[in-house]
Amino acid sequence: MTTNGFLQILFFLVVLLTLVKPMGWYMARVYEGKSCGLDKLLKPFENFIYRLCGINPTVEMNWKVYLSTMLLINFIVLLVIYALLRSQILLPFNPQHFSALTPDLAFNIAAGFTGSADWQVYSGEGVLSYFNQMTTLTVVKFIAAGSGMALLIAFIRGLAGHETSGLGNFWVDLVRSILYILLPLSFVLAIFLSSQGVIQNLRPYQKVDLVQPLKFQQTVIDSQGQPIKNKLGQIQTKTITLTQQTIPMGPVASTLAIEQISVNGGGFFNVNNAHPFENPNPITNFLELLTMILLPAAFCYTFGIMIKDKRQGWAVLIAMLLIFVPSVFIAVNLEQTGNSALTHNVDILPGGNMEGKETRFGIANSAMWMATASATASGTNNAMTDSFTPLGGLISLWLIHTGEVIFGGTGSGLYGMLMLVILTVFIAGLMVGRTPEYLGKKINGFDMKMAVFSILIMPVFVLFLTALAVVVPSAVAAIGNPGAHGFTEILYAFTSMVSTNGGAMFGLNANTPFYNIIGGCAILFGRYWTAIPALAVAGSFARKRMIPVSSGTLPTHTLLFIFMLVSVITIFGALTFFPALALGPIAEYLILSQQ
Amino acid sequence: MLRSLSKSISLLTFLVVIICGIYPFVLWVVGQTFFPFQANGSMLLDVDNKLVGSKLIAQPFTKDEYFQPRPSAASYDASASASSALAASNYALRDRIARSLGPIAKYQNGQAVAPDVEKWFQNQQNIVGQWATSHNSLAAAWVNADPTHAAYVDSWSKTHAAVVAQFVKDNPGTPQPKAADLAVVFFQNFSKENPGKFPATASIKDKTGKMVTSIQPVTTGSDLQSIFFDMWRQNNPDVVLQDVPGDAVTTSGSGLDPHITLQNAEFQLDRVASKWAANLKRNPADVKNEIEQILQDNTSAAFAGLAGEKFINVLEVNLELRKKYGSPQ
Repeated sequence: MTTNGFLQILFFLVVLLTLVKPMGWYMARVYEGKSCGLDKLLKPFENFIYRLCGINPTVEMNWKVYLSTMLLINFIVLLVIYALLRSQILLPFNPQHFSALTPDLAFNIAAGFTGSADWQVYSGEGVLSYFNQMTTLTVVKFIAAGSGMALLIAFIRGLAGHETSGLGNFWVDLVRSILYILLPLSFVLAIFLSSQGVIQNLRPYQKVDLVQPLKFQQTVIDSQGQPIKNKLGQIQTKTITLTQQTIPMGPVASTLAIEQISVNGGGFFNVNNAHPFENPNPITNFLELLTMILLPAAFCYTFGIMIKDKRQGWAVLIAMLLIFVPSVFIAVNLEQTGNSALTHNVDILPGGNMEGKETRFGIANSAMWMATASATASGTNNAMTDSFTPLGGLISLWLIHTGEVIFGGTGSGLYGMLMLVILTVFIAGLMVGRTPEYLGKKINGFDMKMAVFSILIMPVFVLFLTALAVVVPSAVAAIGNPGAHGFTEILYAFTSMVSTNGGAMFGLNANTPFYNIIGGCAILFGRYWTAIPALAVAGSFARKRMIPVSSGTLPTHTLLFIFMLVSVITIFGALTFFPALALGPIAEYLILSQQ
Repeated sequence: MLRSLSKSISLLTFLVVIICGIYPFVLWVVGQTFFPFQANGSMLLDVDNKLVGSKLIAQPFTKDEYFQPRPSAASYDASASASSALAASNYALRDRIARSLGPIAKYQNGQAVAPDVEKWFQNQQNIVGQWATSHNSLAAAWVNADPTHAAYVDSWSKTHAAVVAQFVKDNPGTPQPKAADLAVVFFQNFSKENPGKFPATASIKDKTGKMVTSIQPVTTGSDLQSIFFDMWRQNNPDVVLQDVPGDAVTTSGSGLDPHITLQNAEFQLDRVASKWAANLKRNPADVKNEIEQILQDNTSAAFAGLAGEKFINVLEVNLELRKKYGSPQ
């Protein structure tokens, strides 16, 4: 690894860790309804919303009401998006006159964005109007992220409370997430991004005159699409002079900012953050990278404050970093070493694996982005995962296979992680032969069933659907690369969808009814079937009595416990997938190194 | 439930107004007022106020007088960004890179490799047959790449009925082979009948004066230099070649990467400078110094040059060249 690459990673981590505390503190103030600065400005407006919508913000909800309210609003959003995408041609702000989307694609987008995977099989600049980019797919990012954040806060309240059934008010948590956290951050980020060259306009696509017009010969084709031949059977051609280039336009900055902050992904353009209009220079790249991981990291501190034991929050954050940081270093190192298929035989390519990477970011920033976008649920690209080295791609897959708990999504990452903490406490309790306790409460059979249920959903769905796809001919036909990598593409697709990551290997042509419909359902299961058990556990914890700490209590903030937690994540998350990984990236690596 | 539904809908309506109305509108006003250049795509204007391109979007440049951007998987079509999506292990990637290396690779002393590849090719027995046999996907890709190629194989199959009949006998799965199916046997047969030659496409005028393409067996040319570079290299593994900057032969993630590394620009500098010097009938060394200065003035790196590789913006540098020396003919 180059010194330069090393310093860039270090700088990124230092800035991130500096921001965790103030951001985490701010969010805790917001959710506890205490003065946070912005409330002086926004409180009257917040109350106005409650009054107009007939919401009583002081009403506490139990876990079933909280959950059903969340599911209801998500379901409405799903229906509305589907309707808007299907009627695109009737809606305003469509200067390119894009037609309505097909039913399977519209369902996939609606499910993918509501479920916060933002799995993107379409090319934004080729099929979506400004209206749908700016309103439909932007509002859903706020609501999906807000729902995840509200759910986490309810989960934390459940862990913190005792002998109560109330987990807070979903409406209030959702409105506060959006009004005090997502919106202000997006606003500031968007303004900065547009000062750097991220576009923000509603103009039609612009035509520019090329500096050097291109001349080339093109085959003349008749009305049946067949080439026209002369008597000798030679094919007629005509000279084409290409004089213009069409530059896409659109409201990119406003959609991009929330895409990063909400850790949703789902870019404006086909190639996401590799597009110069989404990510014009190294500074925007750094900020987009930072904002992608900021909220999931800061929530660890918020958690510490809200359960009144900051050490617990730090312990979880350290466990995440222990998996994340080495992954980043390994990924950068692998990409800088390069593609052995090229260096070994052609022998004149220095500078690592630049295929699918942009010059302005270079290899270190591209690999760092890939690891961050996989560890968090963002799934965006600033370089193409398909063209990473086999083991570089393995790191990306492996980070998603941990179940999106290493930072993960906004909210969903941390409650997933806390389910694993509960599991770890249980396993530790079995090892020492005592009743397991977490945060002063006994863990019982119901909690364990729910925790295991939410953890097992992901591997079961991913492996089953991948196995299904490799025997369905239309699904196999979508593969873009031959050999072991073709299998990796399918595995990556379902891993990404069920874990609601949304990142993709673009070689797989997934815009087919099979992937759209099955994938859309997979995202909905992956998202909500982990949310339901999480809230059930929260409800069960809230009702419990606090028991005092005794000599038999296993402390959950020590290095020993952090080590146990990391081991459990590795064993559950990664070893489940080892056979599948052996068929994909590992086989590809071995074949490459044989050449 | 019903009350919850009405609350959901009214809250959603509210959020839509804020998020979809106020939020993007304020950002639009801010962008258009304070950063109109950036918010509208960083568009560059010509001297006569015509749009010549976006600073952030690569344009195709093929002339020797200009610096050339990275190869593009999107064919520089800005309205359809795309990557190659080729896996590291995909042979098509290795082949594509070897093909773009062929015409530009140089020995340590600066001499081009391409003429030696041609000479080596002419002296090999049955090299085209070997190439097609060991890489049948590349042979099939050649047939599909151009209707002229497919038509040529079709007319070949009519005059070589025996070879086709043998193919059908060996491959009972394809009783009616298409042009691409026959690619390998076609090349094997071609190689036997035209030793040391490769079928290349040429544009000519037919008797009626219309432009047509036809296939000619050739012993030199760009097809040879690029397709057979990889085989030549494997036959001559010990020859020391100059480094080629990685970004010169790899496609970017967006297909629209507006930058190349300074290393890559320096690699192209000799070609660019000598072409301008010949056009303007000036001393090559002077022109080279002037262009080197333009490169230095346009070099940037992340965080005010503190981090990452140095790179240049291809369009800006080429516009500088055009401003200084005029349009190349």
